[in-house]
Amino acid sequence: MTWLVWRQHRNQAYVAAAALAAFAVLLLVTGRQMASQYRSALSSCAVSHTCGNLANTLSLGTPVLSLLVTLTVVVPCLLGVFWGGPLVARELETGTSQFAWMQSITRSRWLTVKAGWALLAAAAWGGAVSALVTWWSSPVNALNHQNFQPSQFDIQGIVPAGYAVFAVALGIAAGTLLRRTLPALAITIVVFTFLRLVIGQDVRQHYMTALTRTYKFLHHPVLPTGSYWRVSAGLVGPGGQIPGGQSHVAGLTLSMNGLPVSVSSLPSACRVLAFQGPVKFFACLTAHGYHGLFLTYQPASRYWAFQGIETGIFVLLAAALIAVTAIVITRRDA
Amino acid sequence: MMASTDPDVIQTRGLSKRYRRVTALSEATISVAEGRVSALIGPNGAGKTTLLRVLAGLARPSGGEVTVLGGTPRQDPAFLARIGFLAQEIPLYRRCTAEDHIGIGAHLNSGWDGTSVRRRLESLGIPLDRAVGTLSGGQRAQLALALTLAKRPQLLLLDEPVAALDPLARRQFLAHLAEAVAGGGLTVVLSSHLLADLERVCDHLILLAASRVQLCGDIETLLAEHQVLVGPRKDTTAIERDHTLVHAVRTARQTTLLIRRSGPVADPAFETADVGLEELVLGYMGQLAGPAPAHLTAIGEDQ
Repeated sequence: MTWLVWRQHRNQAYVAAAALAAFAVLLLVTGRQMASQYRSALSSCAVSHTCGNLANTLSLGTPVLSLLVTLTVVVPCLLGVFWGGPLVARELETGTSQFAWMQSITRSRWLTVKAGWALLAAAAWGGAVSALVTWWSSPVNALNHQNFQPSQFDIQGIVPAGYAVFAVALGIAAGTLLRRTLPALAITIVVFTFLRLVIGQDVRQHYMTALTRTYKFLHHPVLPTGSYWRVSAGLVGPGGQIPGGQSHVAGLTLSMNGLPVSVSSLPSACRVLAFQGPVKFFACLTAHGYHGLFLTYQPASRYWAFQGIETGIFVLLAAALIAVTAIVITRRDA
Repeated sequence: MMASTDPDVIQTRGLSKRYRRVTALSEATISVAEGRVSALIGPNGAGKTTLLRVLAGLARPSGGEVTVLGGTPRQDPAFLARIGFLAQEIPLYRRCTAEDHIGIGAHLNSGWDGTSVRRRLESLGIPLDRAVGTLSGGQRAQLALALTLAKRPQLLLLDEPVAALDPLARRQFLAHLAEAVAGGGLTVVLSSHLLADLERVCDHLILLAASRVQLCGDIETLLAEHQVLVGPRKDTTAIERDHTLVHAVRTARQTTLLIRRSGPVADPAFETADVGLEELVLGYMGQLAGPAPAHLTAIGEDQ
C-alpha cells in the first residue's frame, strides 16, 4: 500500500521537497548574515555601553525577507489544500477508490496508510519550515522579544507542525464527506482559517491564568522581562480595568509609560489635557477616580508550555477528524 | 443441462436496497451456481449496478440476506481476494501505466498473476509503458479485465463492461472473458444491454425490471419452461388457468401468448413454438418481440 501511495504522490513529494530546499537555502544564507550582523552589533554596543537601546537602533534582515518569513503562516493551509483535500476526494471523484477497494485490502488499511503518510509528511514539512524560521529568527527574537506575540508564535516552534497535521486531516475529512475536491479545498481554507483565528485570539490567552501587574501614575512601570506576551493593558478606572489598544480598541491610542490607553475611554474633561503634559493629565484622571495602569500578560517562561498546549489541541482535533473519516469510509457505500 | 448439484456461489433472499427515497432493489431472491456465466439483464435503472455492488461488498443492503462464496460480502482481505469486480466506469489511475497497475496489484494482492496481464496486453498490442489515460476505451477495458483476472478470483462481477466499446473491441473483450471461463473454477455475473453478446457467452440469466427480479435460472431450463402460443382470437382463460401468462398480444385475428408452462398445452387451436432468449427477455420486459408486425397493439401485463 505504501508503494501505491508513493507511486501516486511522488511528484507532489518532489515538488514539495524542491520548494523546501529552495526556502532552506535562502534562510540559511540570510540567517547566517543576520546572526553575524547581530553579533557585531552586540560587541560594538558593549564598547559604547548602548546595548540597552539596541532594539531601537538596530534593524535586522530586510522587509522583503521578513515578509516572506511572516508568510510561512499559510504553509499549513497550503498543505491541507494540496495534500489533504484531494487525498480521498480525488479518488472518489475518479472512481479509483473502487479499484483500490476491490484489491485484497480493507478500506480501513487503505485509509490508514494513505492518511498516515500524508499526516507524517505534513508534520515533517510543517516542522521543517518552522525549524528554519525559528533558527532564522533567533537574533530577531533575542533583540525584539516578540516571539510570544501571535504573529511570531504562529510561525515558530512546534505549533506549525501541529497546524499542518490538522490542516491535512481537515482536507482529508472534508474531501471524504463532500466527495468532491474543489468544495473540499474551499471548506478546508475556511474552517482552518476560522479555527486558527478563534483559537489564536480568544482561546490561547486562557491556556493558563494570565498574570497582572498594576502601576501607579507617574511611576515608571517595571515591565516583565524577556519575550512575554501582553494580553491586555490599559487604565484601572473607577469601574475596574479599561483595556486600551492591543486589538481591543481601534482608533486612537495614547501610550502612557509604555502601556497603551485608548483615548476614547477617557473622561472628556481629561481628554483635552492628554497632550498638555503628564502631571495635569494624571491629576485629572486621579480626580475622576482612576487609580493607575495595569498590564495582563503571559510570562516568557510559559512560551513552550503554550506551544505544547496549542500543538496538542490541533493534533487532537486532527485525530478526531481522521476518526470520523475512517468511520465514513468503512461504513458508507463505496 | 448442467448438473444442478453445483454449490451456489451467490445466494440472496429478499434482498433490498434503498437510497433515501429511491428503492433500487426490492425483495431480490437469486442464486447462481458455481461455474455459471450469468447474464444480468434489465432496463436502465432496474437495479443491476446496485445488485452487483451489494454482491461485491461495495454497498450494504438495506434488508434481506446475501451470501457470496459462503459468507456475507465484507471488507476482509480473504474475501476480497476471491472477488473480482469491474465497475462500469472502468476506474484506473489515468496517469499510471499498465505496468504501474500490475505493480499496484502485486503489492495489494497475494497470489497475483502479473505475467498473465503482460501476456494478454502484448497479444492485443496494448502498450505497457503508456499512461492509461492515453489508451482507448477498448484498451482500458481489456487492461481492467486482465487486472481483475490477475487476482485469480472465484467470482467475477462485471458491470456493463462492453457498453462503451465498439463491436471489434467488444468481441475481443468477450473472447478474453470466455477464455478465462474456459480455464475453470470461475463464476461470472455480467450485466449488459446487449442481448446478442450475452447469448454467446452466458448460460444463466437474471432478469431485473423495476427493481425486482423477474427471472433467475439457467437459460436452457428457462427456455424449455416457456413457450410461445399462436392461435386465433379466442378466449384464453383456460390456458391462463393452467399456465402462467407472461405476455399477450391480441389483434383482431390472432392471439400470441408467451407462457410459462406447467405441462403440455392442450388447446389444439394454438400452434406452439420454442422461445428464444430475446423473445423471453422482451416478453418479461413487456414488449413482445419477434415476427409480430410492428403496428399491432401490445397489451402487456403489469409487472
